[in-house]
Amino acid sequence: MVAVKFIPQILAWIGIVLVLLRGFPGRRSLVTAASIAGFTLGVAGTVILFRSFSGTTPFGVIKSALGVNFLVLWGFAVTVLYRSSGQGMTNWWEKFFGSSLCAGGGALLAGVMAGAVSACRFPGADATAVALLLLVLVAGVLALEALAVENMLPASLTVTPAGLLSIVVSLLLLSASSLLRLDLFSPLSMKVMKGIHDFVHQFMESILVPDHLFVRSVVWKYIGFLFGKEVGFWGGIIIWFTPALLITLAVGSQRLPSVAHIRQGAQRRKLLSDALRSRRLQMVMPLCSLAVFAAAAYQSSFPSVEYWDPKPVAVTANQSGEIFIPKQGEIDLLDGKLHKYLFKQGGREVRFFVLQNPAGQLTVDLDACAICKPDGYGQAEGSVICYYCKTLIPLETVGKPGGCNPVPVHFTEKADGVAIDSVTLINSWDTTVKVTARGKEGGK
Amino acid sequence: MPTTIIETSGLTKNYGDICALKPIDLLVPEGEWLSVMGHSGSGKSTLMNLVGGLDRPTSGALRVGGEDLLALSEDGLARFRREFVGIIFQQHHLVPYLTAVENVMLAQYFHSVPDEAEARSALERVGLGHRLKNRPGELSGGEQQRVCIARAIINSPKLLLGDEPTGNLDHKSTVMVMELLKELRAEERFTVIMVTHNQEVASWGDRTIHLDDGVLVREERMSA
Repeated sequence: MVAVKFIPQILAWIGIVLVLLRGFPGRRSLVTAASIAGFTLGVAGTVILFRSFSGTTPFGVIKSALGVNFLVLWGFAVTVLYRSSGQGMTNWWEKFFGSSLCAGGGALLAGVMAGAVSACRFPGADATAVALLLLVLVAGVLALEALAVENMLPASLTVTPAGLLSIVVSLLLLSASSLLRLDLFSPLSMKVMKGIHDFVHQFMESILVPDHLFVRSVVWKYIGFLFGKEVGFWGGIIIWFTPALLITLAVGSQRLPSVAHIRQGAQRRKLLSDALRSRRLQMVMPLCSLAVFAAAAYQSSFPSVEYWDPKPVAVTANQSGEIFIPKQGEIDLLDGKLHKYLFKQGGREVRFFVLQNPAGQLTVDLDACAICKPDGYGQAEGSVICYYCKTLIPLETVGKPGGCNPVPVHFTEKADGVAIDSVTLINSWDTTVKVTARGKEGGK
Repeated sequence: MPTTIIETSGLTKNYGDICALKPIDLLVPEGEWLSVMGHSGSGKSTLMNLVGGLDRPTSGALRVGGEDLLALSEDGLARFRREFVGIIFQQHHLVPYLTAVENVMLAQYFHSVPDEAEARSALERVGLGHRLKNRPGELSGGEQQRVCIARAIINSPKLLLGDEPTGNLDHKSTVMVMELLKELRAEERFTVIMVTHNQEVASWGDRTIHLDDGVLVREERMSA
């Protein structure tokens, strides 16, 4: 079963080695050795990170490194498009691409990133030395297999530097997207959504129009559309795919060789035909990277992780307005799992959950945050996830207010259970969720 | 001293039990016009097909333009035909629903990329500048054969093969086609292998070989 979890990482690793070998055809041994060495370094570095830092810091470091890769791809894509328009730029980087330094360094870096992402598949510092050693050994064997497979690819399938970078970065992001804590696409969509949200507020403030007071509700309906998940998603999609699209466009608009000086028609046409064919084949890698980016975005939007998401249990308040939930009984509140409840009173509904965090403290929270539409939370891999924006909240921070954290509710812990004031619960829902989430339509 | 473009040694071709071509040793210098004569079933077309890479020999050695045709893969043989050989058939084999210029462009397409201006120019060279947009059914036999010549030379082949190209033409058209081929050969300097059973057509060449029942029985050099 563990091996199945590694399928995205294995596929991405084979793909990375294959394209690196094809990208640096004269340096096959160097590329193979450097990529295996890089993978080993990546695994070792990740282990050191997990042993040195607690919480989400190691994931944050690796995620940031992946983000830098994506930004570099963006920069490269814009540059190659600029160059393809015939703007005068020096060819120093083309010489650099042909050098051993670039081949070895590139393979090493790609290996480090692939190794780091793969090592994150193991549960943090709990990874055993044997498991990690096995991972490195498998990666080494697969790299040598890729060496043999690459020989079978048609010789005409060449890769441009930009195409190579595009496919390597896309494969790294595909590998990372199968891990909730390393996924970049969902946070990117969220950033877009938040960016638009902040911009609208700043804009309203800059024209000295306070929110809500002077703007008719019908106008807010349209402004509200900008704050929606869909806008964030499509904005994220644009940013996600643009570099690979720009590179495809740049390769597709490469200038054909000048043939005016060739007298013989057949020779002239042959030269043009060869250039067109070469250009078409060079577009294969950027187009493949588009498909890989799409797979990564899909995996991010529909993760294969199974969330613990129990059906809310209906609860009622006693005559004094207190909701009491026993610690032990049909539901064990101390099992570290999220337990959802539904409280109804006079046409009002409130969803909330009780959870014992890893520190052993019980916490009661609304099944909604103060920012998003109240789609609720699920639990997986040491965190709860906001179904609306896919933000991961580490279990350690559940019960603390702010951001996309579930809104904490005041409660009293008794020896045999927890007691919640129903009025406080309803007011908490009304004042945070119902107002900020714009409407009653939300919720599952 | 001209270089040898075709070199065969012990070249044979069997179709099942039938031996169409018995061991033949042949050298053809670059730029020569070689006529191949013989009665029906003597192995003329078989020899032409082998030399043009349209068929594979049963045994022997065959080098054309420095390439060992027996060593070439199917793709290699296709590339050889595309870039090295032009063929004119007796039955024309023009695509009936394409115009003259489109038929020529089709050959360009399979070679590299089509170029209409160049195709028009080729048809003008063979005297069909006024028939560019006509389909084969709207052309006379001689005109169709001239379209075939334009199609055969459009990719600047080093070797032009003709399989009874004037077999269906009257005397006047035959002379016109042969004169045209002679002019083009002088300009383009390609080698010609012309299969025919017509002594007059064979006499346009530099040398004639006679085949009989798959055996090279006689060779004669034409006077200038």
